[in-house]
Amino acid sequence: MKLQLKDVPGSLLRALEPVSIHGGNIIGVLHSRGEEELVSVQMSFEIKDQAALDLIKGDLKKQNIRVSEILLEGKRYYSKKTLSFILIGHVIDTDMRDTVDRLNEIGLVSDMDVVMPSPEKKSSVMMNVDVDDKRVKRLNRLINEICKEKNFLLIRSLEG
Amino acid sequence: MKLRSVKLTIIGFGEIGRGVARVLLKKRGFIERNYGVDLDVIAICEIDGSIIDENGIDLGETLRLVEDKKLKKHKNWSSMRALDVIKKVKSDIVLELTPSNIENGQPGLKHIKESLRRGMHVVTSNKAPLALKFSELQKIAYSNKVKLKYEATVGGALPIINLRRHALQINKIESIHGILNGTSNYILTKMAEEGVTMDVALREAQGVGIAEADPEYDIKGIDTGAKVAILANSLMDMGVSFRDIEITGIEDITPEAIELAKKHNCVIKLIGDVNRLEVSPRLVPVNHPLNVSGALNAIMIHADVARNITVVGHGAGGIETASSLFSDILSILG
Repeated sequence: MKLQLKDVPGSLLRALEPVSIHGGNIIGVLHSRGEEELVSVQMSFEIKDQAALDLIKGDLKKQNIRVSEILLEGKRYYSKKTLSFILIGHVIDTDMRDTVDRLNEIGLVSDMDVVMPSPEKKSSVMMNVDVDDKRVKRLNRLINEICKEKNFLLIRSLEG
Repeated sequence: MKLRSVKLTIIGFGEIGRGVARVLLKKRGFIERNYGVDLDVIAICEIDGSIIDENGIDLGETLRLVEDKKLKKHKNWSSMRALDVIKKVKSDIVLELTPSNIENGQPGLKHIKESLRRGMHVVTSNKAPLALKFSELQKIAYSNKVKLKYEATVGGALPIINLRRHALQINKIESIHGILNGTSNYILTKMAEEGVTMDVALREAQGVGIAEADPEYDIKGIDTGAKVAILANSLMDMGVSFRDIEITGIEDITPEAIELAKKHNCVIKLIGDVNRLEVSPRLVPVNHPLNVSGALNAIMIHADVARNITVVGHGAGGIETASSLFSDILSILG
């Protein structure tokens, strides 16, 4: 986890505390002090699950400590969000593979439930797409674009 | 105690106008005791004529006549049109209760403008003039030092505009979502509960008098869109018009989509989303406060201090809407 700390006494300790409070095992801390007001700190730790990570992030936020990046097992970690929606239209006949592939370019289609009453009638498809928090807007734009292009009625979730 | 005389003109004596008359007959004593005011209706205008009596119209007799479809038999009936009545009869408050016409807001728009310009307060349930010309009407009211009140334009009996004005003053409103149309909610509820098609649910709604013979405004989301525009302007100062609202109705929703939603613990509701200036069918979790059934309306406000507040109630009906109209009338009386 990469942090930006204020260069004042005790700030590093305040940043480490949430990790130990929530059961994390600190492996290492890299502390690079430059000439700027903020000090870059990179700390490596082990935690048991995502809930613990969320608690640590929450505590750091409360203390106004800025987290600039989180790497999980070497890969960039993201806060996952799942967008759920229903598409009504000729979803199968308008190249469903293409719809899913395009959605997968931004997120990951993790669940799909298709009801096709008869070939000539419109089908209804419920989809869940997992997506990085930061890419939600982009995914929403793409969903709107696909719906316009393929003439689907989109029923988004209230939060989406 | 000497009562202060306050004179009312009612324009539009349909379901809502009659609701006002019935509530006034029932609550006259309450208003006299609590506000020291003698409220007299001195003019009632319908599409083809009016009843005028400067000494106060007998509302009981007028209601009996209108129920028998004999309003024209009233001894004071004349063919004078509403606009002329506004010009000739000086009342304190004009109730503009004609049906909404989202194309151009008429005839309500000219009734409201003329009344305000002549120094009369206006209380209205007519959405279209507010949805189309909100800032213009506010300016006319302000420059003529009169009030324009419109609680009844959104959500029938639901206190939403006055809730913000009188109980949430310190708050910044961050989002508003609502089920603002009882007819579409009734239809979606029927489809979910009985597994019927849109056509069957609509016919049933018409059968019980919830849907109009021409349900286009309700089904296509136009009615909800007008209310979104009013809420955007009155609660969030967004300075928009009805034409800025992106609207998708419920006419293409399939029974299969309703079933899919149910399978995933959701319902489909026609939601007015004020932040997005959008009306569209949305998936709502079954345990969400906006999951209200039948013809009910529900509005959820998220405010920075109070956080979430949801108001649920009857969004239509003459008597229910009169509740909001009287809330405005009594706030003018002070």
